Amino acid sequence: MTCTVRIASPLRSYTEGAATLSVSGRTLAQVLDSLEARCPGIRFRMIDEQDRIRPHMRLFVNSSEAQQLTAAVADGDTVHVICALSGG
Amino acid sequence: MSLSASERERYRRHLALPEIGAAGQEKLKAARVLIVGAGGLGSPAALYLAAAGCGTLGLIDGDRVDITNLQRQVLFDSPSIGQPKAAAGSERLRALNPELRIVAHAIELRAANVREIFAQYDLVLDGTDRLSARYLINDACVLMRRPLVSAAIHRFEGHLMTYVPDQGPCYRCLFPHAAEGLVANCAEAGVLGVLPGVLGTLQATEAIKLITGIGAPLTGRLLTYDALEMRFSEFRVTRRRDCAVCGDAPTITEPRDMSTSTEGTQGIRRLSAAALHEQLERGEQPLLVDVREDAEFAAGHLPGALHIPLGQLPQRLAEIDPQAAPVFICRSGGRSMAACQMALRANIRSPANLEGGMLAWAADIDPRVRVV
Repeated sequence: MTCTVRIASPLRSYTEGAATLSVSGRTLAQVLDSLEARCPGIRFRMIDEQDRIRPHMRLFVNSSEAQQLTAAVADGDTVHVICALSGG
Repeated sequence: MSLSASERERYRRHLALPEIGAAGQEKLKAARVLIVGAGGLGSPAALYLAAAGCGTLGLIDGDRVDITNLQRQVLFDSPSIGQPKAAAGSERLRALNPELRIVAHAIELRAANVREIFAQYDLVLDGTDRLSARYLINDACVLMRRPLVSAAIHRFEGHLMTYVPDQGPCYRCLFPHAAEGLVANCAEAGVLGVLPGVLGTLQATEAIKLITGIGAPLTGRLLTYDALEMRFSEFRVTRRRDCAVCGDAPTITEPRDMSTSTEGTQGIRRLSAAALHEQLERGEQPLLVDVREDAEFAAGHLPGALHIPLGQLPQRLAEIDPQAAPVFICRSGGRSMAACQMALRANIRSPANLEGGMLAWAADIDPRVRVV
């Protein structure tokens, strides 16, 4: 199962500037593990020590919000990583 | 509130739109809109709302115009450099549309003044550059039942969402909590100058729609914009029943300054510019760690300060003696608070935060130091 992960601008330092990455996984947890293998350190910016999505991050599978890491991800889906922005 | 002959002429293109017409233009004339932050977002929002005939327009900003602002803050021009933003911006808006009542608030928004200021307006636009202000504005809007059009930017990316009381989620539902420092700001990361032009103009669009009652507001939807890919995306956001301010059992019942919250700040000393000055005058030599970016540090800093930009701090904490009780410094106190929290987690003893940062130092101690 391959999906596209669209990375929030503040986290692109982990992806060498790439806005999207193709990774594998059937659940959000697996997708994030695949992402971490490619971009070490990025998962901790999104997920805390208790496996909770950090409160300044939101994750969406296509346009539906994923509140748990058990959320299913299907082949061809897009996972959107959205981070609070502070600039004005 | 009827229109004068000159107003009918000025707004002829609006009057030609059946969706707005004379009734809509009169609603705009009666509207009282507050723009918080006369920066990249506030500039185009203020210009378009003034041009559109928004009758009372408030502009709140405690900063002065700096040359680095002019790359994106189109409310100002080169002769404005050094002037208070609220005053310079108001002057520009009055020149654009003398029919309006423009109110300059040359102060920083705080929990202590937010109720008094927001009470004078019916609609608020958030264009601030600090998360603490974003939460203060959101909470005050929820508590005072004011619609809020919130936008934020970073490098090439922008966000937009509208809150209307009882009609959808608030900013805290979207991001329940965020700490300054976890989220990079424009000074650290840079920003494409035209980016806030897009988002600020969208804020003005939302405001005009809300005032005139046309179209569908961006409630319950987060709009994201990626300028590099020229991509707009939209995400459904729902109200959180456990939201601290608009949820079923709110714990926030009064606006509060995030910086006075003790959340994650226990063990961090708060040091005013005057207190630090006294220490230095007494001959004490605290370890000063300036966590601003290279250009900010180069413009002006305290003598002897160790320079570690916040983004490099996790890798360079070993340069700080755990017993040194360091004083962390940034522009206004946000990034240095994040640095204090990192230091605490790394078992560095008794870190201190210079409250108000170099801006406070320049205002209270040494006006010669240049702060960008």
